Amino acid sequence: MATEFTDDIFFATIGELNARLKSKDFSAVELVRAFARRLEQLGPRYNALALPLTDTAIRRAADVDKELKRERYRGPLQGIPFGAKDLLSYAGHPTTWGARPYAAQVFDSSATVIDKLEKTGAVLVGKLAMVELAGGGGYRSAAASMFGPGLNPWDRTRWSGGSSSGSGSAVAAGLVPFAIGSETSGSILTPAAFCGITGLRPTYGLVSRHGAMALSWTMDKLGPMCRSAEDCGLVLAVIAGGDTNDPGSAHKSFYYVPQYYRASKDLRIGYAPVDFAEWAQPATRPAFEQALAAIRETGAKLIETKLPDLPYGALTSTIISAEGASVFEPLIKSGKVDELADPKQIAGLKAGLEISANDYLKAMRIRAIVQQKIRRLFADVDVLLAPSRFGPAPKISEPLDKHANDATPKDLGMSALIPAGNLAGLPALSLPCGFADGLPVAIQLVGPAFSENQLLALGKDFQTRTDWHRKRPTAG
Amino acid sequence: MTRRELAAVLGSVTSLATVRAQDAPANQPEDLNAAAKEQLHKNSETLSKFDLPMSTEPAFLFKA
Repeated sequence: MATEFTDDIFFATIGELNARLKSKDFSAVELVRAFARRLEQLGPRYNALALPLTDTAIRRAADVDKELKRERYRGPLQGIPFGAKDLLSYAGHPTTWGARPYAAQVFDSSATVIDKLEKTGAVLVGKLAMVELAGGGGYRSAAASMFGPGLNPWDRTRWSGGSSSGSGSAVAAGLVPFAIGSETSGSILTPAAFCGITGLRPTYGLVSRHGAMALSWTMDKLGPMCRSAEDCGLVLAVIAGGDTNDPGSAHKSFYYVPQYYRASKDLRIGYAPVDFAEWAQPATRPAFEQALAAIRETGAKLIETKLPDLPYGALTSTIISAEGASVFEPLIKSGKVDELADPKQIAGLKAGLEISANDYLKAMRIRAIVQQKIRRLFADVDVLLAPSRFGPAPKISEPLDKHANDATPKDLGMSALIPAGNLAGLPALSLPCGFADGLPVAIQLVGPAFSENQLLALGKDFQTRTDWHRKRPTAG
Repeated sequence: MTRRELAAVLGSVTSLATVRAQDAPANQPEDLNAAAKEQLHKNSETLSKFDLPMSTEPAFLFKA
């Protein structure tokens, strides 16, 4: 009898789907067809779908079934459908980078991460929408994408976050079990937090960016967006590793072995009370208090700390603007930049060409100080903890910089942890921790470079004590 | 590229016009260009106030 594909399957973890494939509850073709059709049907509802790949995916799934029949197992992702942010190339298919000037762009080879996932038997069912050019010029509208504004599955009047918008909403709505996103400064953590899923930003250089759109060579990272910390570990184990095609590659391997890392009770976790009491919007504070209580229950020692007072905003803005303007110089000088959807982004990219070499070098020199001082911070704590975002997803009808001039607390706490962590190239894990006004909110854990297993071990412990990552929006 | 894929791409481009028409911010491009340059100028001023030891090298490595 054919399996009925219900929400219990569409919202299952990778481990659960893998077990059911092995026990032959359904075939890879059946699973892939069900997800691919759901993505095609519901993806446009959230402006999440850039390109359906249903036919190709079903052919690949048939190959997986042949392997499973011969009991040739390639790992936990074998036969699992996934989506990829449309800044990753997929041979012979359009890769738009979310931007109209690149709508017809086709590459003849696939990104290393997609190659690696396919080799392990994972099946790409669709490319996912994103903010145009990953928002490198700065943008003030959720509609800064050729696919339209990313709509949040929890409330379609709200933004799904950017720039990995489609990756966030597709996982949250049960359209794919996992997706690949990218982060230059906040583009995995933000949609993961707004959509109520688990997102991992790996250490700079751990995952090859070959075949990915470049925005900022010294800050771009690719990472998994999943249902749980465990799933993030399983995906990272496949996509991580050295690559001579990526000049930024750290040439390091990653094996997902959280059981060999320190137990939560032995960890010192640094946090700034002001982040939770003042920076967090009032509606989110009860959820964050519960999250802190759950972290305390693990036995971890919470230690008050704060980030060194450094110009994180000016640094990220200068570095991303300068590198992004250099990457997109042909687009800017040809005038095609004016075809982008967001006028602020157009202006930002154009202005980036005028950053002086002195300013760029000064920013990169101060960045070395940032790395040094944050490294020292980790002498006293093992992990940093802060809200992923201080509020829930904003309305798509409102400018994203609406609150930019609001009064802010004097104590900076760790309010700049997203730019600081990205400048230092550090890994971060965003974990759903509750709701405010019916919308998800999340905490982030940040660790020293290449501490992914430790972050995932703590995240996994947190998710055994809470069920926020199991909550589902009403899709359909 | 299959017809379905082409249709998806073209459909997305078509929807862009709608999105831009409905949601384009009111600011004029000249204002936005000036604001973007002003922001970079502010960044430059912020960074120039930072006391940097002469020995500090940039945070990137060139690998031959």
